[in-house]
Amino acid sequence: MKVSRAFAVTKRVLRDLKNDRRQLALIFIAPLLVISLFGVAFTGNVKDVRVVVVNGDVVAGNSSLSDKIISNLDTSVLNVAYSNSESDAVAQVQNGSASAVIVFPGHLTQSVAARAAGQTSVAQENITIKLLADKSNPNVSNPIIGAVNTAVAETIEGLGRQAPVSVDSSNAIYGANAQFIDFFAPGIISIAVWQLTTLLTLISFVGERTSGTLSRLLASPLKESELVAGYAFAFGIIGTTQSAVLLTAAVILFNVTIVGDVLLAFGVIALLAIVSEGLGILLSSLARREAQAIQFLPIVVLPAFLLSGVFWPIQAIPAWLRPVSYLLPTTYAVEAVRAVILRGWGLDKIYPDVVVLLIFASVFLVLATLLLRRRE
Amino acid sequence: MMDDVCIRDLEKDFGGFKAINKLSLRVKRGEIYGLLGPNGAGKTTVIKILCGVLRPSSGEAYVLDMKVPDPSVSSRVGYMPQELALYRGLTVHENLAFYGEVFGLTKAQIDVREQALLKLVDLEASRNRLIDQLSGGMQHRISLACALLHEPQLLFLDEPTVGVDPDLRASFWRYFEGLRDSGITMLITTHYMDEARHCDRIGFMRDGSLIAEGSPQQLLDLTHTDSLEDAFLAYSQTEGPQ
Repeated sequence: MKVSRAFAVTKRVLRDLKNDRRQLALIFIAPLLVISLFGVAFTGNVKDVRVVVVNGDVVAGNSSLSDKIISNLDTSVLNVAYSNSESDAVAQVQNGSASAVIVFPGHLTQSVAARAAGQTSVAQENITIKLLADKSNPNVSNPIIGAVNTAVAETIEGLGRQAPVSVDSSNAIYGANAQFIDFFAPGIISIAVWQLTTLLTLISFVGERTSGTLSRLLASPLKESELVAGYAFAFGIIGTTQSAVLLTAAVILFNVTIVGDVLLAFGVIALLAIVSEGLGILLSSLARREAQAIQFLPIVVLPAFLLSGVFWPIQAIPAWLRPVSYLLPTTYAVEAVRAVILRGWGLDKIYPDVVVLLIFASVFLVLATLLLRRRE
Repeated sequence: MMDDVCIRDLEKDFGGFKAINKLSLRVKRGEIYGLLGPNGAGKTTVIKILCGVLRPSSGEAYVLDMKVPDPSVSSRVGYMPQELALYRGLTVHENLAFYGEVFGLTKAQIDVREQALLKLVDLEASRNRLIDQLSGGMQHRISLACALLHEPQLLFLDEPTVGVDPDLRASFWRYFEGLRDSGITMLITTHYMDEARHCDRIGFMRDGSLIAEGSPQQLLDLTHTDSLEDAFLAYSQTEGPQ
C-alpha cells in the first residue's frame, strides 16, 4: 500500500466537495437545521401547565398548610387556577382546559398538626392530598406530580419537621445542570455524520461505477486497498469537520455542556465516519444507479436514529429489539461521544466502545477492499 | 519479440451468456489494431479483460508478455473506457493531476505532460474549467489525454469516437496515427466501419468471436466490396472465409 496514492484519492474526494458548493452547504446546513429544530422544539421541559386547585383547607388568617404548599409550587411548570368544586375542576380536565386537579382535604392543617402531636385517631384521608391528573401524556403528568411532591416536601421542611426518611439528589455525579438537549446533542451529531458519510460514499461509489472512473482506476496501479483508505481519510476529515461545526453550534445556540476532551470526541466520530464509509462502499455494490442508492437512506438512518440511544437509552428499548441496537455501530459511537462530552470520560473508560468501533471499521474496510478486488 | 497483445482461446461467460467465445488474436508492437463489430459483439469485454478489470472464464490473454490480470503491467498500459471516466465535479487540471498521481507521476512530470497533452487535444484554454461545463467532444479529448498521461506503451481505446462529431473524429485519428508513428501500440474498438480504414489491421467480431481479420485492403479485396461496412456484412452473412 502506497500512502501517496491513497492521498491522491483523498484529495480527489475533498476537491469534488470543494467544487460543489451546494453539496458543501448541505453537509453543514441540513444537520444544523435538525439540531436547531430539536433544540428549540424538544427541550424536554414542559411549561405553563394549567392545574386546578380545590382547596377545602381553610383556616382563619393565611397560615393554612395548603396555602404554604401552593406557594411552593414551581410556577414555571404549573399555572395554578382555583375552583370551589371538585366536579367542576375535573370537568376542566375532561374538556382539556387543565391537565390536573389538586384537592386539599378540609381541615388538612389541623389534621396534620394533630397527627404530628401523636393523635393516631386522625383518618388517613384527612391528611391525603389528592392529585387527579390526565396521565395520558406522561411527558405532562410526570412533571406535575414531581412539582407537587417537591412543593409538599419543601413545605414540610419549612415547618422545621423532619421527615422520617429523606432523599437528597442535589449533588450530581455527572451532568449537574444537564438538560434534555445535553443528552441528545452528542447523539444527533453522531447520527448526522453516520448518515452523511454513508450516503455520500454510497453515491460517490455508484458514480465511480457508472461513470467508468472505477474501471480506469482498476486498470491503473492504484490498489483497491488504497482506494478504500483514500476514501476513509477523506471522510474522517469531513466527519470531524462536520461534527466540529455542529458541536460549536450546539454550544452557541443551546449552551450545551461540554466537560470532556472535545478532541477525543472528534476522534470517536472520525472512527464512526470510517465505519460508515466502509458500509457505503459495500452498499454501493447493491445499487445500479444513484436513484437506487438514495433508497438506502431510510434503511441506514432510521434504525440508527431510533435504536442507538440518541433520544432514549438502550435500556428503554424492548429486550427483543436490543440485539439490533448492539449491531449498530452508532450505538457505541453515541455512547462514547456522550460519555466524553457529558461525563468527561477519557479513553481509559470509553475504550470498550472504541474497540468495538475499531472492529467494525476493520471488518467493513476489509470487506470493501475484497469486494472491489473481486473481478467478475 | 512477442506481440504486445496475445489472446488464445479466450472465453468469457456472464452467468450463462457467452460474451466471448474462443477468441484468439494478436496485436503487433507499433500497430493500430481495430476491433470492429456491432454493439454486443463482445469488444468491450475483450478490452476489459486485457486491462484487468474483468477475469477470463477460460483461455488466456497476455499483455506486454504478462498474463492478465497482472497489476504489474498497469503502469505501461493506457485505457480509455467507453464511458468517459472523468470526475465531472473536478476541473480538467484536477482530473489530469489525480490520474497522474495515481500513476505515480511527480508534480513536475504532471505539469509537463499536462501542457503537452492539452496542446495535443487543443484544450489549453480549458485547463481550469469543470468537466461538467465542457461539451461532449471536449470531454472525449480530456478522457484521451488522461489515458496518455503516463506515456503508456500500449493503449486500449474503447469506442473512443462514439458520439463525436466528424471533424473531431478526423482529428482523433490523426492523433492515433501520430502516436503509432512514435511507436505506441493501439487496440481500438469501434462500430463505425468507415473509420476503421485508418487501422493497420482489423478484426471483425460477432457474437464473441472473430469472423475475419486482415488489413482493410485485404478485407475489401477478399469480399470484392468497396466499403468495410459491406465487407463486414459479407462475412457476417456467410460466416465467411477465415
